[in-house]
Amino acid sequence: MSGRATIPDLEASPMTATLLQRRPLSDRAADLFLSDYFILYLSLVFIAVLAPFLPTLVTPGNIVNVMSNMWPLLIVAIGQTFVLAIAGIDLSQGSVIAVTSVIGAALITLVADPVVLSKAPLWGVLITERGGPLAGVTGGVLIAILAMISIAALIGLINGLAIAVLEMPAFMVTLVTMMTISALAIYLTQSENIAQLPETYVRLGKGDLVSVYFGVKDTSQLPRKEVFSLVTYPMVIAVTLAIAAHVLLNRTVFGRQVLAIGMNRKAAEISGVPVRRVIVLVFMVSAVCAAIGGILYSARLEAGRPTLGEGTFLLDVIGAAVIGGTSLFGGKAKIIWTVFGVLFFVLLSSSLSAMNLSAFQVDMVKGAVILGAALLDVLRTRIMRERMR
Amino acid sequence: MIATLTNPAERALDLAVRHATYVIFAAVLIWYGVQAPGFLMPESLGNIVKQSSFIGIAAIGMTFVLLTGGIDLSVGSVMFLAPLIAGYAMRELGVPVPLGFVVALGAGLAMGLINSIFIVWLRVIPFIVTLATLFLFRGFGTWLTSSTAFDFKEGFRAFGLSSFAGIPMPILIFATVALIAHVTLAHTTFGRQVYALGNDREAARKAGVDVRMVEMKVYLICSTCAALAGFVLIAQIGRLDAGFGEGREFDVIAAAVLGGASLFGGVGSAFGAVVGATLIQTVKLGLVFTGVNLYLQPMMQGAIIILAVLADGVREKRMQALQKRTIRSVTS
Amino acid sequence: MTVLLSLDALGKSWFGVPAVTDLTLDVAEGRLLGLIGQNGAGKSTLMNMIGGVVQPSSGAMRWLGATYHPQSAGDATRTGIAFIHQELNLFTNLSVAENLYIDGFPSRFGLIDWPRIRTRSAEILHRLALDIDPDTQVGRLSPGERQLVEIAKALHNEARLIIFDEPTTSLTPRETARLFDTIAALKAEGRTIIYISHILGDVLALADDIGVLRDGRLVDSGQVGDFSVPKMIRAMIGRDLSGLFPPRTNKPASHAVLQANGLTQPGVLQDVSLSVHAGEIVGLFGLMGAGRSELARILFGLDAVASGSIRLNGSPVPAGIAGRIAAGMAFVTENRREEGLMMEAPIADNLALVCLRQFGRGPLAVMDTGAVGMRTEDARRDLTIKAGDIRTQPVKALSGGNQQKVVIGKWQMTAPRLFMLDEPTRGVDVGAKFEIYTLIDRLAAEGSGILMISSELDELLGMADRIVVMNRGEVMGELARPDFDRERILALAFREGLT
Repeated sequence: MSGRATIPDLEASPMTATLLQRRPLSDRAADLFLSDYFILYLSLVFIAVLAPFLPTLVTPGNIVNVMSNMWPLLIVAIGQTFVLAIAGIDLSQGSVIAVTSVIGAALITLVADPVVLSKAPLWGVLITERGGPLAGVTGGVLIAILAMISIAALIGLINGLAIAVLEMPAFMVTLVTMMTISALAIYLTQSENIAQLPETYVRLGKGDLVSVYFGVKDTSQLPRKEVFSLVTYPMVIAVTLAIAAHVLLNRTVFGRQVLAIGMNRKAAEISGVPVRRVIVLVFMVSAVCAAIGGILYSARLEAGRPTLGEGTFLLDVIGAAVIGGTSLFGGKAKIIWTVFGVLFFVLLSSSLSAMNLSAFQVDMVKGAVILGAALLDVLRTRIMRERMR
Repeated sequence: MIATLTNPAERALDLAVRHATYVIFAAVLIWYGVQAPGFLMPESLGNIVKQSSFIGIAAIGMTFVLLTGGIDLSVGSVMFLAPLIAGYAMRELGVPVPLGFVVALGAGLAMGLINSIFIVWLRVIPFIVTLATLFLFRGFGTWLTSSTAFDFKEGFRAFGLSSFAGIPMPILIFATVALIAHVTLAHTTFGRQVYALGNDREAARKAGVDVRMVEMKVYLICSTCAALAGFVLIAQIGRLDAGFGEGREFDVIAAAVLGGASLFGGVGSAFGAVVGATLIQTVKLGLVFTGVNLYLQPMMQGAIIILAVLADGVREKRMQALQKRTIRSVTS
Repeated sequence: MTVLLSLDALGKSWFGVPAVTDLTLDVAEGRLLGLIGQNGAGKSTLMNMIGGVVQPSSGAMRWLGATYHPQSAGDATRTGIAFIHQELNLFTNLSVAENLYIDGFPSRFGLIDWPRIRTRSAEILHRLALDIDPDTQVGRLSPGERQLVEIAKALHNEARLIIFDEPTTSLTPRETARLFDTIAALKAEGRTIIYISHILGDVLALADDIGVLRDGRLVDSGQVGDFSVPKMIRAMIGRDLSGLFPPRTNKPASHAVLQANGLTQPGVLQDVSLSVHAGEIVGLFGLMGAGRSELARILFGLDAVASGSIRLNGSPVPAGIAGRIAAGMAFVTENRREEGLMMEAPIADNLALVCLRQFGRGPLAVMDTGAVGMRTEDARRDLTIKAGDIRTQPVKALSGGNQQKVVIGKWQMTAPRLFMLDEPTRGVDVGAKFEIYTLIDRLAAEGSGILMISSELDELLGMADRIVVMNRGEVMGELARPDFDRERILALAFREGLT
């Protein structure tokens, strides 16, 4: 309590007292507000406030559930973060997920039901009654995954070329890609799912490396419900990707070029940044991330589904990235922001469903949260500006 | 020194680029006409217009927003929520159909007001605001219906299926909206200020245009048009499904852009939106006529939009080239 | 003689730095006041206060004796003040008539009364002897015509005071002559005019009264008869010209760094040849629209060129910007904000931008942050950039002079052979200008060739070893330092001859 000695001095002059006490406090509040970890703190506060009223929120089961929802979304959002960093937008991520999941599943499916799929254009080309061409082939899953990633990269390349070389607005280009590619996905299977995927593939979406058991020991048969996954494949994949993306965006020449383009494209161009190449690469990164996220989704579903990633999925992705603090105007993006944004978003949805709220309330709260995040951003920018003066 | 293009080929290209949508439209009509002559019959053409009214009315509203350089992603949810509120008013409160119509418009107006409060007064960018209200409005609507389909009371459909002087109600409303929007954009101070705002916001402010007021009005108009579009379609169906309007914001934007509206603001027209929406519908119906797999439909739509966007880009570049200061006269 | 607008001890500070101080001035009705001053003398701040764009920190304005306290641009327009700016405030997607009426169209039954607008617009255009259809889209007009449309706007708004801010910068001599006729006609109608220009000859020819601004103060004013060009310059600069520039410390070497031959691009350049030697500062002078920046952009590979050759250190330059940079070119553009800096990014990031690749390590090109920190810190010290922590402080928090040092610094890190500096002291205050000049001299002394583009002839006279003069995309002539002669250079720049 070394501070005690100064207290009489402060009391002697109430003016200085308030000054000395208030300034640093508001400053510290502003620091917290501007910190990279703000959304993480917000998530923790959110849990702390809700936990007493909603004990199910902090049960191991729910935490596992939150996590498993988080990883694939995180991977997709990381891709979007790169695009937002150059002041672009990628609306085609959902459709990339759909089309790659369908083609990937068609390659590796073990058995296909002719009643369901015989009308699909893929029937006879890729799938037959004996499944896909890679069914039962050693390393078939790996080849299929590589094929999925290549297809995504190709779609990203097309997006990127149209945007960088033909200088069309990203919004329209990726909107059209979205329409076209998701139509293609639906066309390929005539809107049917392709199920019966090999165990190796499914494990990518569900399998765990480490599980925890909270029940009584010495039971020969562990009750399934009591076993909680601690480290899962999706987690390993997502965390690895997040670290790689963080290094790529913040620690490499490429990442600096990405941010420079987002900050001031003209200045970047004049400074010798290969603007077009970087833009094309960014859209490829986005599509590939979508495909990897899609692998986790389809593995969890145990099926390739042409409507995967439809509807408001994309808005979840962009919403999560923006809540994290990534700016739609470009130049301001961090992977860690996106991690926290996704965490917050997933936490929110799952706690709302834990409250037995229906989909509508989840939607409304999501909307309110996006608005709140945007207002926070406006406020942050204002504080920053005032600090600079 | 008005820049003129002397070469006739150049001039033809210029004309084609400026009216790319019409060129595409003509090509599409001829193509289908050759493949299935029945397609060009008045009945099927009338059907196209009737079916375009839904996206078309909303696209007209969207054009106002795009003209200022903004965007409204919430229209799909407005289309859902506004008729729903009107439906409740009619079913539960016994409000007569014409008044229900007014209620729907009022609901749209209110939603537009919410958007514009955030966009104009709190200075949050339109993309994020309308993304958020997309969730908000839909969530509110799903809450009202508890995620089930909503059946409108009898007599409501009669309004939707009615016609006046042989013209079906949807076409009548579509035409009226288009006409009012055209007159507003082309012949009122507000309309011309919308164009000015989209061309140069700062200059508009300096020229004494009440930028905030203009911007607020365009979002009000956009939401009201979306509400009207939803109401008109639902009045034909009589039933509102839980997912109604979902994803439609993209169709609406696509129709407006196809009609010549630029995402950068300052370019576009009400009739353009009509043409854009009708073109999309023509392509869709044409594919039905020619028996193309329905799942391929959006691909055709995509191809046509990308063509229009490309033409928009070329047009923009040519404008810039025209505006670029030439230091010396070009001697060729 | 009525006083139309009077300024009483007007002052304005930006973040504690005074831009205009204690300015008292009367503008008499029906007369033309020529206002001159260097960049940063406070002219634009003063105009913004009169125009209601910024609010004065102190003092007051009166319009015909009544308090005039505009809160917005609209207030100024309604009062009867019109501005003809350097950058025109026209809507290129609207017609001429619409541009005149944008803040309020006359209407009939709620609809715009087009016939009335057309008639009235045509009438105004006719008064300006401007032979264009009021329905013409402004985007299709030439810069000179657009300027006249701005004047038409002022006439339409019944402006009693029209303020011209550098109106001739983008005009051809013929268009300029026509503008002067128009100005004379406006004066004959009894309108009051404030004419701001850097071209002192124009001001002398047009003005009834002259006011000179320096460092935000009115340092001299009076009737035009009391002024001459030398007196105006002395008043503007306030000290001897020689003290404004550091001495040149080196002599140019004999070998050429840049050799451009016969550069031609239709509509832009015509047979431009130019050389810059190692250690030489070549000044490139010309009026706005002479093609100076366009030449620099072509040399740097930003714009296309139809024919001609560019050699750097004797060998042809590689295509593309990255190639030019690798070959040793550096380009400080005239537009620092839009093309030079990432305003929101930290100073260090800006400094490292051009040579990013040098800092990449390994196959993934991971940034060597230690090296970045050291190199950028060296650059900061070397350039005496006044900043806090360069790794966190955004560049937009710096003063104009320090921002410019960052732009020069980011290029200096690549050790270029040829520096192209386009308006290097634009928006830089007088004190910082000297530092920039010293820096430029040092770059030359270190052996780089310098191509210095400026519209301020004085700084070229002060710094250059040789001055090349351009007009409408052609090189009109060049003068070595011993032959420097202001009038000759201006005559070349005007082509038609001003003497």
